[in-house]
Amino acid sequence: MKSSLARQALVLVALAFLPAIAEAIYFRDRVSWQAPVPASEMVTVAQARAWGDNAIWVDARPDEEFARHHVPGAILLNEDRWNELLPQFLAAWSPEKRVIVYCSSQSCNASSHVARRLRDEVQLKDIFVLEGGWEEWLKSKK
Amino acid sequence: MNLKTTRLILALILSIFLAAVVRADLKWEQTTLDLHPAISDKQAIGHFKYENVGKTPVRFKSVHTSCGCTVAQTQKDQVGPGEKGEITATFNIGGRTGVQVKNVTVETDDPAHAVTVLTLKATIGQVLEIQPTFVYWQGGEEPKAKTIIVRSGKDVPIKKLDVTSSSPDFAAKVEPGSAPGEFNIKVQPHETNRAIVATLTIKPDYPANPPQLFYANARVMPAPATQ
Repeated sequence: MKSSLARQALVLVALAFLPAIAEAIYFRDRVSWQAPVPASEMVTVAQARAWGDNAIWVDARPDEEFARHHVPGAILLNEDRWNELLPQFLAAWSPEKRVIVYCSSQSCNASSHVARRLRDEVQLKDIFVLEGGWEEWLKSKK
Repeated sequence: MNLKTTRLILALILSIFLAAVVRADLKWEQTTLDLHPAISDKQAIGHFKYENVGKTPVRFKSVHTSCGCTVAQTQKDQVGPGEKGEITATFNIGGRTGVQVKNVTVETDDPAHAVTVLTLKATIGQVLEIQPTFVYWQGGEEPKAKTIIVRSGKDVPIKKLDVTSSSPDFAAKVEPGSAPGEFNIKVQPHETNRAIVATLTIKPDYPANPPQLFYANARVMPAPATQ
């Protein structure tokens, strides 16, 4: 009785593996290229607000979205015009300030891309990505 | 396995087969495209080709992209049985580098494939890798030279770099690096007693026509306020 149950369980497990393997083969080219942002590099709206004047807000969304509305005092820095916009951000930056980068659900992973470039290429420290982005900031104002 | 179970399984397989035969069916040639735009390209364009291999027309309900930097266009709103077409996805490279993945979500009225996600993967070649792109001095710090390392991209034959500073307050000198295609830019402010800023324009000898310009930034921070 016991061995029959064990065999049935094994068969079920093997059957469960079949679609998983098929999916893995079918979607082999669709691995995520966006490494998740580590929790230590994320910041909530409440935490970011608490930093007050010791933080610089960076808007990683496209120009039009920034022009429509943005976090007061935020500096525009997106990858569409990276070379043009970087100097104005660096002019406002200072080593003791934290940097909070945000984007919106419409601008995909822009904030994590911009944050990564500020860390890797510009080699700045204390760069954070805003959890929930622009939409979360809007919600916090209501 | 008893007879009843066997019949049930056969009926299930048959119904799946029949459903597949009679439905509308938009067949995509590829749902993932790998693009390798040339160094001077401003855009990467992907053509996602499809054919309606089903028996009924398929209507596109919506086509949207995962990012404002990508635009997708359909040639037609409805695809008749046997018709072919394509969705064109145009990715504006801007200042992006490395591997960029952008998705195009296509919604149709085909219940079997209501939503298809098309993926455009663009590998953007780099002429130069500059690290760091920013050097700074604290106000009052000793005005020693700081180094920016510049490396040529893969298969990019750069032999010489010209660097100019937007401000006469900074000197920038190019020296050969430790490997072929590598350069060290020594940046030095003349003084650090006042806040100054400069953009360094880096011009490699490749590509020659049109030449490509790269930028780094240098800054002397304001001296800390005294109490």
